[in-house]
Amino acid sequence: MTTIKIWNFFPREALYECYQCARCTGSCPAMEVAPAYGPRETILKCLNLGHEAVVQDEKIWLCCTCNVCEDRCPQKIPISDLLVALRNSAARRGNIPGKLGMAIELLAKTGRSMIVHQLDEMRAHHGLGPLPPIPVDEIKQILKKTKLNDVIDF
Amino acid sequence: MKDKSELAKPYYGDGDLRIGVYVCHCGKNIGGVVRCEEVAEFAEGLPNVIVSKDSLYTCSEPGQEQIKTDIKEHKLNRVVVASCTPRLHEPTFRAACESAGLNPYLLEMANIREHCSWAHLHDKDLATEKAKDLVAMAVHRAALLQPQFELTVPVKRVAMVIGGGVAGIQAALDMADAGYKVYLVERSGSIGGRMAQIDKTFPTMDCSICILAPKMSEVGRHPNIELLTLSEVKEVDGHIGNFRVKVLKKARYVTKGCTACGDCIDACPQLTPDEFNAGLSIRRAIYMPFAQAVPSQFMIDMDRCLNNQGIVACDRCFQACSHKCIDYADTDKILELEVGTIVVATGVDVYDPTALTELGYGRFPNVITTLEFERLINAGGPSSGELIRPSDRKRPEKVAFLQCIGSRSKRSNPYCSNVCCMNTVKDALLIKEHWPETEIYVFYIDIRAFGKGFEDLFQRARREGVTFIRGIPGEIIEDIDTGNLKLLGENTLLGTPYRYEMDMVILSVGIKPRSDAGTLQRLLNLSTDTDGFYMEAHPKLRPVDTTTGGVFLAGAAEGPKDIKDSVTQASAAASRANILMSRGEVKVPAITAKIDPNKCVACGLCAKVCPYHAIEGGKDLGYYRVIEAACQGCGACVPECKFGALDQSHFTEEQIISQLDQAVAKDPNTKIICFACNWCSYAGADFAGVSRIQYPANVRIIRTMCSARVSPEWIERAFIKGAGAVLVSGCHPSDCHYNNANQNTLKRVEKYWKRMEKLGINKDRLRLAWISAAEGAQFAKVIEEMAAGIKKLRSESIHAASEALLKRKTKKVEGS
Repeated sequence: MTTIKIWNFFPREALYECYQCARCTGSCPAMEVAPAYGPRETILKCLNLGHEAVVQDEKIWLCCTCNVCEDRCPQKIPISDLLVALRNSAARRGNIPGKLGMAIELLAKTGRSMIVHQLDEMRAHHGLGPLPPIPVDEIKQILKKTKLNDVIDF
Repeated sequence: MKDKSELAKPYYGDGDLRIGVYVCHCGKNIGGVVRCEEVAEFAEGLPNVIVSKDSLYTCSEPGQEQIKTDIKEHKLNRVVVASCTPRLHEPTFRAACESAGLNPYLLEMANIREHCSWAHLHDKDLATEKAKDLVAMAVHRAALLQPQFELTVPVKRVAMVIGGGVAGIQAALDMADAGYKVYLVERSGSIGGRMAQIDKTFPTMDCSICILAPKMSEVGRHPNIELLTLSEVKEVDGHIGNFRVKVLKKARYVTKGCTACGDCIDACPQLTPDEFNAGLSIRRAIYMPFAQAVPSQFMIDMDRCLNNQGIVACDRCFQACSHKCIDYADTDKILELEVGTIVVATGVDVYDPTALTELGYGRFPNVITTLEFERLINAGGPSSGELIRPSDRKRPEKVAFLQCIGSRSKRSNPYCSNVCCMNTVKDALLIKEHWPETEIYVFYIDIRAFGKGFEDLFQRARREGVTFIRGIPGEIIEDIDTGNLKLLGENTLLGTPYRYEMDMVILSVGIKPRSDAGTLQRLLNLSTDTDGFYMEAHPKLRPVDTTTGGVFLAGAAEGPKDIKDSVTQASAAASRANILMSRGEVKVPAITAKIDPNKCVACGLCAKVCPYHAIEGGKDLGYYRVIEAACQGCGACVPECKFGALDQSHFTEEQIISQLDQAVAKDPNTKIICFACNWCSYAGADFAGVSRIQYPANVRIIRTMCSARVSPEWIERAFIKGAGAVLVSGCHPSDCHYNNANQNTLKRVEKYWKRMEKLGINKDRLRLAWISAAEGAQFAKVIEEMAAGIKKLRSESIHAASEALLKRKTKKVEGS
């Protein structure tokens, strides 16, 4: 498994402009439901502990990339981009939450990220016909193109 | 003035050129990058160089003594100093030359610090090679220098102060007390400015208007001050010592007989928001800005009055006025004033936080700004000093202050607004003073309590129970039923999220340059920094001077500052202006244009481009001539002359050409020749160096006073000699220091591009760039781009272009 330096994908200089005002965390919807997470803390850890330490941390998977933090950041730091870069790096090191890994595997194998057995029944209840068959092979191909199979075996 | 021949005689005019070269290490600033000994050794081999030395600090006393001794001992008649930018130490070395009996204009400087060592920190070889080139250019130019004699012009002992805030008031009083007549021009109906709006001052908690009002009335009754309210500067002409200013004095519609009795107010049916109270109260169309206003005189806001546009629909105030002071027929007037010096004290605007939608300002009534708070808590304000919140007029029990609103941000103003931290601490203490049970929370990023007495005040606020929380809320949510505000954020020191419910939120808003600062900037040829504030001539050593002689800065127009700093700077500006006025005369640089009447054919083209109408003459006279006292030395006229009759002293054609020839003497194909104007682009390149911004070392800068001095013939010569690229750079259009002389630059460069196109030469090799004194990074970027362009050029195409230009030139010469 290859490891990547996130600084190839994210301008490190942008982080230096952060002065920890915490407007990002204050406006973060993920923080509302998971108070453990905070973009401010993530940036500070990248700066002070290095990104190696940050990618070990499961918290980075709590970000929902809604971009509100970025919108309100006084220094215009592309925070969502940072989180995406961090997750890429983490995934390539195998630091991917188990449930997420399972969901990807499921997606590759069945074309759905979760199995809902009563799906057709529910659709029928609302007067909808059954879903068309899933082009599983095509989905698998797409996932392979994104090199997701480097991270998760499927 | 000494006799000209006497001054020039001792060491000049005997035919022999004797040049001394001094290469400065500037400690490690130059010496750490450029091999100065090697450069000095190289200079020794240059023509006419008699002595060449390197020294640790040439500007030091021993360094200057060395030059003086050498001038006498070696009979030097030209001196070249390779050190920092001439914008810094040219006066120093000129004075050294003069004291040794050498005409100061026989000094030449090579800028090997800002333009070389600081810009090429990591390549000692390239930097040393460049330094050698720069020294060679300077030595060849020095050989052609001529002694010059400066003209003395009288300074009118009358000053103008623009802006009647506390800075303008102080500057006006200081100059008036020194005995000079002062015109104080204020745009609004009263002097007083921002300070009059503020309740208390920090750190002493003085009542703001109580300490300002005595100064205001002193201005009102000072025999030397003529106060012009409702007035704006519309036109400025002339130069240091002799400005002609046109001031528009708007109609007040109330005559001087007004006793401010206020009988008219109740009669007036027209209402409008009161600007002085930050819109929190209403005033009538006839009004006085505030109780302590100077002049203590009412005025009519014609935009609100029913009598607008000459139709008298209402005369209730006229009827109510027992002194009959209302004059609906009053008209605007243009005053033409002649002044010797000008102090600019135009102040600042307040940041409008409406754009930061997450804070709800403008939508939630209980979110207010600090300026609104000042009026609320002021005894003379809309609530008579009662702290009430706008939604229900109840006294808030929990109040939050949010810091750095509109400051330190790429979304608004990138700089720190300087006053907001202490202002909030003061405001918090004011609340505690009157209503100690109020809970106060200050949300901050950093508290900057740097001044005298500031830390004390900050600690006092903490002792009195003000809670300081590090972390600005990301969002404010209003409770529609109660009008209370929920603040969502993170306490960064605890690392825990918070949710506070507050009764009122006060946004500590920053300050910013006046939205119309550009108007005065253009009228007075000022520069602005990247933040839009007026720029000082030197940030450390000439902090109140501007690059326009005779114009000085005071107060926050130059950068955010508090009352004390504004007053200090105002006194400094007044003192600088007083020096000029007390001496009564000033020397102007001897860099004027000259016309050779024998060559002049009286075509008059030069007179047409002169931005100062300093060229007179005509067909009847048979030639044109330059009025030396009016000529500002931009040199825009010189390239206009097709007959070689014009030249500029100290920036002559042959001097510049000698620099140019040296610049392209070695590897011309790789070189970028940059013509940079003294005020913006040369200073911009200096700024790049000062900021240690690195850029390719193959650029050679030649200084002219204005980019309009750049002759298309120089560009042609550079290309014929094989220069890879030519950059012509000047001030941004409308920022030109010579009354838009640089529109000629644009015209000439565009014309040359057409010529290049016709001859099939790559147009990209000639670039025109407007670079201001604050745009060091922009200068570096342009050089980077041009250097990348040169790399793509093939030497054959450079050669072919050179041939084509040469052929065209010879043909033209033969043809004529």
